[in-house]
Amino acid sequence: MQQGMAGPLRGRRQQQQQHPQQLQQLHVPPAQLEDPGGHRHLHGCETPLQERRPEGLQVSSGLQDMSLRDRGGRRRDFHDLGVNTRQAMVHVQESKTGFSGKMIKLTTNHFRLTSRPQWALYQYHVGYSPEMEARRLRSALLFQHEETIGKTHAFDGSILFLPKKLENKVTELFSRTRNGEDVKITVTLTNELPPTSPTCLQFYNIIFRRLLKMLNLQQIGRNYYNPSDPVSIPNHRLMVWLGFTSSILQYEENIMLCADVSHKVLRGETVLDTMHSLHSQVGEERFRDACAKELIGLIVLTKYNNRTYRIDDIDWDNNPKSTFRKSDGSEMSFVEYYKKQYNIEISDWMQPVLISQMKRKRGNIQGTVALIPELCSLTGLTDKMRNDFNMMKDLAIHTRLPPEQRQRELGRLLNYIQKDDNVQKELRNWGLSFDNKSVSFTGRIVQGEKIFQSGAMFDYNPQFADWTKETRGVPLIRSMPMDSWLLIYTRRNYDVANTLLQSLFKVTPSMGIHMNRPSMIEVDDRTEAYLRVLQQRITPDINIVVCILSSSRKDKYDAIKKYLCTDCPIPSQCVLARTLSKPQTIMTVATKIALQMNCKMGGELWSVEIPLKQVMIVGIDCYHDTVSGKQSIAGFVASLNQSVTRWFSRCVVQSRGQELVDGIKTCLQSALRNWLKWNKSLPSRIFVYRDGVGDGQLNTLVNYEVPQFLDCLKSIGTDYSPRLTVIVVKKRVGARFFAEIGGGLRNPPPGTVVDTVVTRPEWYDFFVVSQTVKNGCVAPTHYNVIYDTSQLKPDHVQRLTYKLCHMYYNWSVSAPAGTACTQHTSICSFMEVEPCCCIALRPLLHTQLSTELCFSCGTSAATNTRHVSPSARPSTECKPVYDVAGGHWSWEVGGFASVLVLCWGYVELFSQTSINNRQYKFYKYADFRALCCSDCMLI
Amino acid sequence: TTENNKLCNWMYCENFKEEFRQIIKFEPPLYKQRYQFVKDLVEKYKPKKVADLGCADCSLLWMLKFCSCIEVLAGLDICANVMKEKMHTLSPLPVDYLQPSERSLTVTLHHGSVAHKDPCMLGFDLVTCIELIEHLEESELKKFPEVVFGFMAPSIVVISTPNSEFNCLLPRVMLYRHPDHKFEWSQAEFQSWALETARCYDYSVEFTGVGHPPTGMEKVGFCTQIGVFFRKYPQSAESVQSEKPMEAVYKTVFKAVYPSLKDEKYLQNAVISEVIFTAQIIKHRLMSKRQEYSDDPERKPKFQLSMDCFSEYLGKVVVEKNMEPFVSGNEVYIPLRTIFSFPKVNRLCGTFEKLCKLIAGKVTLSSDGSAVMFNIEHENEEN
Repeated sequence: MQQGMAGPLRGRRQQQQQHPQQLQQLHVPPAQLEDPGGHRHLHGCETPLQERRPEGLQVSSGLQDMSLRDRGGRRRDFHDLGVNTRQAMVHVQESKTGFSGKMIKLTTNHFRLTSRPQWALYQYHVGYSPEMEARRLRSALLFQHEETIGKTHAFDGSILFLPKKLENKVTELFSRTRNGEDVKITVTLTNELPPTSPTCLQFYNIIFRRLLKMLNLQQIGRNYYNPSDPVSIPNHRLMVWLGFTSSILQYEENIMLCADVSHKVLRGETVLDTMHSLHSQVGEERFRDACAKELIGLIVLTKYNNRTYRIDDIDWDNNPKSTFRKSDGSEMSFVEYYKKQYNIEISDWMQPVLISQMKRKRGNIQGTVALIPELCSLTGLTDKMRNDFNMMKDLAIHTRLPPEQRQRELGRLLNYIQKDDNVQKELRNWGLSFDNKSVSFTGRIVQGEKIFQSGAMFDYNPQFADWTKETRGVPLIRSMPMDSWLLIYTRRNYDVANTLLQSLFKVTPSMGIHMNRPSMIEVDDRTEAYLRVLQQRITPDINIVVCILSSSRKDKYDAIKKYLCTDCPIPSQCVLARTLSKPQTIMTVATKIALQMNCKMGGELWSVEIPLKQVMIVGIDCYHDTVSGKQSIAGFVASLNQSVTRWFSRCVVQSRGQELVDGIKTCLQSALRNWLKWNKSLPSRIFVYRDGVGDGQLNTLVNYEVPQFLDCLKSIGTDYSPRLTVIVVKKRVGARFFAEIGGGLRNPPPGTVVDTVVTRPEWYDFFVVSQTVKNGCVAPTHYNVIYDTSQLKPDHVQRLTYKLCHMYYNWSVSAPAGTACTQHTSICSFMEVEPCCCIALRPLLHTQLSTELCFSCGTSAATNTRHVSPSARPSTECKPVYDVAGGHWSWEVGGFASVLVLCWGYVELFSQTSINNRQYKFYKYADFRALCCSDCMLI
Repeated sequence: TTENNKLCNWMYCENFKEEFRQIIKFEPPLYKQRYQFVKDLVEKYKPKKVADLGCADCSLLWMLKFCSCIEVLAGLDICANVMKEKMHTLSPLPVDYLQPSERSLTVTLHHGSVAHKDPCMLGFDLVTCIELIEHLEESELKKFPEVVFGFMAPSIVVISTPNSEFNCLLPRVMLYRHPDHKFEWSQAEFQSWALETARCYDYSVEFTGVGHPPTGMEKVGFCTQIGVFFRKYPQSAESVQSEKPMEAVYKTVFKAVYPSLKDEKYLQNAVISEVIFTAQIIKHRLMSKRQEYSDDPERKPKFQLSMDCFSEYLGKVVVEKNMEPFVSGNEVYIPLRTIFSFPKVNRLCGTFEKLCKLIAGKVTLSSDGSAVMFNIEHENEEN
């Protein structure tokens, strides 16, 4: 196949990657393993699964197509097994539970796994003499002795697991190959694994996934889905499959299965269909760009095997008639290949070829895989779909399950497991069984926090975790005046603008915000008109610009924001006319807009009582960009005052090969210097809330990052040794809690703390429910204290964490603590968040800012394009800095390479109305914007 | 004479080995050549119902499921475990659910012996026995012709088995190619058995094979010898059904019914989905046309362009007067006739009446049932 990289897309990609990689040999997805001269009973077609991970562990009787490593096996320690941080903290050896608050009866989505008394898993080493290479041959030879080994077994070619102990420690078996060669097999017992050993846990997970498969559920990605009863949403050609996520782990007292309902959005059209409709929508000229924008990054399912691939590129220079080199070295065209292999006729010979990069070796295939658009079905949602409010609304109906219904679906799964004979037999053979009722236990609802504003103090109803109403009556801690400001609107929105103004006049006085009448400016509903007005009317004494937009058209919003962030930096607030059009909500909306504007101008809103003195709260969030490169971005914030209302913030962008923590160390040093400047002393306690820790990364954090923090503190001064607490925050957890109220299941109220039963024995960890949701199930946040010299009782750490959940300024409801402290008012001043949406912004907005700043010198390219040519963008890194002394905002602009494009616009978003109940997700800037808007419309 | 033959052959081979000390390797591998042979046969005769006896790990069945003529696939093996190993590869894929195919397909795996008769094996067009008979015990082999040719009586039977004359060219083979082989036949042995069987059950047989011998050694014949049997008498429908009422002895270990448009449930889903999607497209077009006249001057040229391409993609839609979609108050009406004129809908339903029948009660229609109706009251202007 021609490897020419002439296409414009390819060119860009190479520039974009710092180390351009030559596309290697193209492959088609394999069907069968080349296996010369194989005999039918020993050899034959490989299943896709096995081929993918031929080194994986085979599991017995009908389990052969699973392997111990299974999918996603490259992350071996997915559940951070074996990271024991609790043992180093003496003060929580005895107990890590809190005591305050009111008891609440909870159930969860955890199911106990029980094994026979004295159950053990027996691990054997299997040796061959003479040495046999092929794994398939090794297992075929071994299983000629099923009468000795038994029908229940798991074998990966050298390690054998059995549920029973063989008579002798060493068993010798003799087999003969089809070539008549005699082979001696030596089976040696190497280990007797107790039910709680990490290997056993891994093993349970494999067995369980296998059971799901036996129940005829289809594996897509990591989870299993039920294809037989799909929900179809014909309006958008979508299909939703109901499925389950599962993990089996050692919890406080038991090994339990944590199962959750998962939804898979699938689409009834092929990539080619999508290309056709794109072509008809955008025309020839912009067709390729539109395809790249819409398709790259999406996951596709192929028609002929059960695999998923990510589209990494579109190769316009090739088509189905192009040839590729097979593993045996011969050339073949795609048309021929699919005809021969799968009897599939490719009808469109002019379509381009999709390119998918393999991250790791899959069987004998590595590098690049070529896919034919016609044979690929789309999964998931495109940016455009996420922007489509109606679509998201239609989807949410099916995907957001309230507690009762969620538990019912899970109950159904457990029921299937109990009823299926094959499944039961398999479980029996291994000596395992599951409870069909989820565990229940008692949690605590900690006391609601008092909110302070300028000397006043008020309670709020923790039931709703919202104190918007209360704020209205009380002045803010530090309010910024709106002496001179602009209100820009179109003629059609004249009434709306007036309504907003009147409402603001009603709500601001009690908040202590001094507001004059703005300059009201009417414009045509065109981008240029807005910009012209901004150019003409902005003077140095303007505090803030408010624009009322008639539609959620992105280009207009982007142009305005770009101008107001870069060309002429000034706080600004955009509001959708639609948001203001409902009389019943206008006061709430106006309150939120006022709060937000105040933040953007540098005000402080409210605080909660922090009982500890000289305490600095640090928030860190990281994002590792796996899509476009190996960049990591960290947002860093640290509190600067006792009331935790002023913040220092930094953003670190680290390219490949560098350790993120080095940058974080520097941040911590500057933060401490700033603290000293403000407080004339150094903090005596530091709490680090560390977010953005992926599954399996805990070990690195404990062994590398924490020592770095300690080093950093040491470097400040020899006599300086503050008490340090490092807490890992995780919002994407599978655990769900349900309160048993009035015979039914409800979401637990905000303030619910769980520190027993479903926590891990080797950790000092707890869950906090900090927010409330109207629909679906609330997701608790998991806090894992990995280092603690604070000497505080667990109860105090829990309560401090919950307090910090209230310090989230963008929104007057409680949010997870990591969110609270990693946000900084400066962020708000640049990032537009439409009011009335429950969104927690993350420090990644710094990145957003950086990209926004890039617009000033960059091109006017569509702003949400992922594949923007880096050459068109300036190589600049910009740090927003809040000059605490001067009380104003400034930027540090320094030289930096093109990494900015790679960290382009990722924003993590928390939304109550987010369609999947795992509410935390990285969204692209565009999606994020869209969700903001759509959420507004819900209110 | 058999013994004699074997001896002669052995010597002949030994001589040959002296001359060419090389290992014979087939390209593509022999097992693939056997499967390809079956596939070619399927392509040629287009059987609807195919059974594979001794299906082992189902790899032949997996290949055959992609053959579009086949509607029923069955596998039979004496060993349930070996079938279970890979049986999930015969399950429908996610995409099979997303885009149900025109044809229907049912795949069933049975656990049982070819020496026993079971009614589930009746009515097949093609029965394949690839590398099967050499694994049969003498008693089983004796019953085998009666079961396959007498009872199942498909139009075509394919039987492949090792050719023992070739073994001398396979350096590591001592007696048989596999320890489980009960015998391996020479060409003459196989052919005489096959001819006798064919005569007995009124079939004709053709001999061929895969795995060509090296040049100069043509005498040993194919590495795998194959007999293709054709039934000489026509199958009468009643002979399948009525004559043989009997008990099932096989145990079904796996059954997969592929989603198909032949199934009303899937067809209905597909039609509803296509109708609503098409209607949405038309509505979108209509609404954006209306928007053009309103306030957004920036957008106008872009829209004009996209409109033209749009209709081109959707095929030439014949727009008659009564087929025009229209807006009335808060409702948009899209005539079913218009929707029916779209190629995809047309292909799915066939007739307009069928369309109406399938969507009845599932799609909101106008009071006279002639148009799809959308309420646009709660939609914002941008969507």
